[in-house]
Amino acid sequence: MRPVGVGLVGLVLLAALGAPWLAPNPPDRRFPALLYAPPTPVHVLGDGPALPFIHPTRLESRLERRFSEDVSKPVPLRWFADGVVVTGDPVGGAPLLLLGTDGYGRDIFARLLFGARVTLALAVLAAFGAALVGAGVGALAGYAGGRIDAVLSRLSEFVFVLPGIYVALSLRAVLPLVLPPGTVFIVLVAVFIALGWPVVARGVRAIVLVERQQDYVVAARAAGATGVRILFTHVLPAARGHVVAQAALLLPAFVVAEATMSFVGLGFPDTVPTWGTMLQEATSVATLESSPWTLAPAGAIFFVCLGIQLVLPDLRRVPVELEG
Amino acid sequence: MVRWLVGRVVSGAVLVVLASSTALVLTRLAPGDVTTQLGPFASRAEIERTRERFGLDRPVPVEWAVWVSRAVRLDFGTSFLYNRPVSGLLGRAAANTGLLATLSLGVATVLGVVLGLLTGSRPRGWLPALVRAASILLLSLPPLLTSLLLVFVASRTGWAPPGGMTSVGAADADWLAWAADVAWHLPVPAMALALPLAASFERLQAQALADGRDAPFLTAARARGVGPRVLLLRHAWPVSLRPLCAAYGMAVGALLSGSFVVEFVTAWPGLGRLMYEALRARDVYLVAGCAAAGAFFLALGTLLGDVLLAAVDPRAREGLDA
Amino acid sequence: MSLPIRPARLIGPLVTLLLLAGAFLYVRAGRSTVAPTGTGPVRGGQLVSSIRAEPRTFNRAVSQDQITDLLNTLTQGRLVRVNRASFELEPWLAERWESSPNGRQHTLHLRKGVTWSDGSPFTSADVLFSLRVAANPKFVLASSLTVGGEPMRGAAPDAETVVVTFAAPSGIGIRLLDQLPILPKHKLEAAFVAGTFESAWNTQVVPADVVGTGPFVLREYRPGERVVLDRNPRYWRKDAAGQPLPYLDRLVLDIVPDQNAELLRLQSGAVDLTQDALRPEDFVTVRRSEDQGALTRFELGVATDADAFWFCLKPEAKKQDRRFAFVRLPAFRQALSHAVDREAFAQNVFLGEAVPVWGPITPGNRQWFTPNLPRYPPDARRALELLKELGLEDRDGNGVVEAADGTEARFTVLVQRGIAASERGAAFLREAAATIGVALDIVPLESGVVIQRMLACDYDAVYMRVLTTSLDPAGNLDMWLSSGSAHFWNLSQRTPATEWEQRIDTLMLEQAATLDQARRRDLFNDVQRILAENLPVLYFAAPRMYAAHTPRVRGVVPSVLRPPILWNADSLSVAGGAGAAKP
Repeated sequence: MRPVGVGLVGLVLLAALGAPWLAPNPPDRRFPALLYAPPTPVHVLGDGPALPFIHPTRLESRLERRFSEDVSKPVPLRWFADGVVVTGDPVGGAPLLLLGTDGYGRDIFARLLFGARVTLALAVLAAFGAALVGAGVGALAGYAGGRIDAVLSRLSEFVFVLPGIYVALSLRAVLPLVLPPGTVFIVLVAVFIALGWPVVARGVRAIVLVERQQDYVVAARAAGATGVRILFTHVLPAARGHVVAQAALLLPAFVVAEATMSFVGLGFPDTVPTWGTMLQEATSVATLESSPWTLAPAGAIFFVCLGIQLVLPDLRRVPVELEG
Repeated sequence: MVRWLVGRVVSGAVLVVLASSTALVLTRLAPGDVTTQLGPFASRAEIERTRERFGLDRPVPVEWAVWVSRAVRLDFGTSFLYNRPVSGLLGRAAANTGLLATLSLGVATVLGVVLGLLTGSRPRGWLPALVRAASILLLSLPPLLTSLLLVFVASRTGWAPPGGMTSVGAADADWLAWAADVAWHLPVPAMALALPLAASFERLQAQALADGRDAPFLTAARARGVGPRVLLLRHAWPVSLRPLCAAYGMAVGALLSGSFVVEFVTAWPGLGRLMYEALRARDVYLVAGCAAAGAFFLALGTLLGDVLLAAVDPRAREGLDA
Repeated sequence: MSLPIRPARLIGPLVTLLLLAGAFLYVRAGRSTVAPTGTGPVRGGQLVSSIRAEPRTFNRAVSQDQITDLLNTLTQGRLVRVNRASFELEPWLAERWESSPNGRQHTLHLRKGVTWSDGSPFTSADVLFSLRVAANPKFVLASSLTVGGEPMRGAAPDAETVVVTFAAPSGIGIRLLDQLPILPKHKLEAAFVAGTFESAWNTQVVPADVVGTGPFVLREYRPGERVVLDRNPRYWRKDAAGQPLPYLDRLVLDIVPDQNAELLRLQSGAVDLTQDALRPEDFVTVRRSEDQGALTRFELGVATDADAFWFCLKPEAKKQDRRFAFVRLPAFRQALSHAVDREAFAQNVFLGEAVPVWGPITPGNRQWFTPNLPRYPPDARRALELLKELGLEDRDGNGVVEAADGTEARFTVLVQRGIAASERGAAFLREAAATIGVALDIVPLESGVVIQRMLACDYDAVYMRVLTTSLDPAGNLDMWLSSGSAHFWNLSQRTPATEWEQRIDTLMLEQAATLDQARRRDLFNDVQRILAENLPVLYFAAPRMYAAHTPRVRGVVPSVLRPPILWNADSLSVAGGAGAAKP
């Protein structure tokens, strides 16, 4: 199963990196006549077998979201044109919309690809940071023991029970009204690290606690190795698996948390597509029925999680939730 | 052991006070207070009067001190949103969430542990493979999507009500009918919570069993001629419970403090939803009360996890006494 | 050619198919028996509506939020009622009335035999008590129930007559009394005197204590779940056939905060109706349920309020702001208005279900709407000309126009978060403004924060739907007058900041005090014209609103005002009456 997982994660990463070439339309281009349009069907059978082609999408009723294919005009897909791999004829009313459009008439597939860049970069960076801080704090607490351990453990419990939304709320208050996307990115990474490290630290501390009683550590100490040396060469490697696993589990939690944060105003402006904000627009049972394609980001999150689950076979699989 | 327990309880209490105080102060510092709920063009007099009534005209430290001195006597102040004491609201919501949490935890435990024993002890075969695949799928689904899908299926098929805790007709039914009605509403939110949890329990159990399969004492027992069933249930299983216990503590805490997503989508009147409503309206005292309740349950959960750990694993017990 | 299969072989599949078809038809038939039978309203049964928020109090005199207002409509009476569908004035607790020629004194004759829901008689003393409550500046009614800035006074020559005196002549006249909740003196006076009026009917009250003259009485409130109301057996009103109203035995208000969950319950029949109009994006879902016979959809009409976009025009707050030099000029705002294609706006933001508007009074407000207002057709060239006359040009070629001193025309626009149509509208405006070189940064915020910043004038611009409280302009003086607390682009001015605001003040004060309705109309048309010329607020489109209910609801008279259906709750009934109530 592992190769499948590697394949999934690799595919997503490739898609994110190649977004400017893979997206048939720019992510912020609106098609005013095509709000909530379904995915464009790609045909390979015309009067006979043919190169893949599409039909222009025609608006029947805006309110009822009825669209039809203008079958009289087949539009061949254009390969390696306009600087992208494949596209339709956006100017001629026949854009290639692989996953339909959202309520603004924007290409969901394109937004998904571009959104993956921001979302994944944010989640990976934050998970990496949280793992680093968590491992450090956990190791220190477990190894030093005594008062330091008590203080750090209580601190991690405190962060653990404090819902992130409060932090976001008050942070929003002290930040300026208009935040450039770069600032939002940095702030979110910082918030996620601050909220996520205890998840890692708890386990690392427990592992370090056990490891330092082990015979080989005792032997090393007897041989005159310093504390720091023992920690880094003997104890921490034992926790490596755990740290990687926890960091991997934090990833999807951060992807979802990004949406929650944007809810209290600490999010990216709507011109920057992210999976979280896309998901927020689609969160209702009604969309499952009327425009299921708008739930594509949920599907993307699912595949990323699935990939991670498959890549890391012996995870301590407790899903992390940072929703509250 | 007793000293350790007392210490944990005290630090838990401190944690609860600290978390709720932080929530109170942060909410107070955030822009917009509860008077904006009066509408865009409320009269100045009305705004002033509301501020005064809820003590929002006092400086934050004073407000905090007053709140804490009352909170230790379990008086959490009055909610603006509901215009009634916070403690009553918390009690009701906590009871509702508790009911949901108990059921989902029960289902998740039974499902997860039994299936975990199956997949862990017999790694080959189509059934374990199926269970494993289902677990991984469930773990990968965002909780939002799980609850949306469940609600969607329930509402379209009519197998379960589309949300809420009681039906409209339950208002003047006797308690038996009321209980039956609640039981009819429970499955959807309970499943939304229990399924991912059961999946993670199953994985944990299976891995723990597999990890310990070659432990010397099991080999010894096998050599003594202990049957496979007894070997699994009496020897291997108890030892494998350790990672499960730690996860259990976290799960209990998280479940009891209420899942906002599930409660919101299924319209369950629990703590998670109450907290969200309070935060949205900047209903400070209700926010602080909810934070206190959430922190209390999370602390309780971790404590429970540690106690369970001590109960199943003698090594951990020694560590506690040290 | 012969058939390779013997006919006997076909019998099995055929029988199966027939059975399946039969079962299908049976199920369909079973469904259709639920369809309406008979036309007359049936007594009994219960109706379930959803509400989106918790009640905070059952006393309309201390809170004016939507839920309190709805509960007041359901449980209390008024002296006269403005019919929410026809906008006509109807006798209610007052059977008839005479007004003095100067329009200041109104003698109302109370209906005989009306009792409170606990059996005590309803008399003029209750009306006087209610007027006393309304006159107290501590409570919310005081701000809306004044004439010429003074509360109305009441006197009672006898138990069945009340004389209400206005401090000045009023164009709204006796219609104003529609807003006055008539409260039971015998239940609330003690609290009013003792100073505990605010908490007297809070949500912990014993339900039986909330007595009223309305069609329903409070039975139970379960926080987070529902409010249950029962028929008021002592309700005074009867239908045309002499049958006592209300038809319903019970009315349940289910609390569903999330609008998506609300829609889901409506579709599954768990609630019969909702309090909000359908969002344009929900139309397609409702349409599907309609086709399946699960819902009945109907048009409420064009909304009486439109989306508004305005800049903060308070000179005191914006003195330091160099952009204020051009923002304060009508020509700048006119240029912006020229940039917005209102037809496209309606298409994109409301999915076509909206009508373009050029002022705050929409075609939905039939009585006061005028089509003859200055319009600003979409014309980017004209807009750029106007900007150029103001000295605004794109000097550095970055796509944003700037003044000679380099001040860019860049503004942040506050929008309420979570309302899809509102966020779509803001995005549309940003694009439209960009075509003439005005940069708008959209900042979605929670409504509480938007309101706080609005009151403090701590913003560049706001885009939101401002709900007006009264259809009659004289009822919205707080919006029209420059000194008003809802004069949103420049709140509560001491003296009018501009010459045209001064003119509107004069016209509106005269309009409010004039009794001749034709004259009032002329005056108000002038006001609307002045507003449209100076454009302190830009209006774009008013949505056409729809609502839906389950097919078993009878007697619905839709209103474009809130509540859209429950305003005539006493005349609603359900098909099949008691028998059809859902479990």
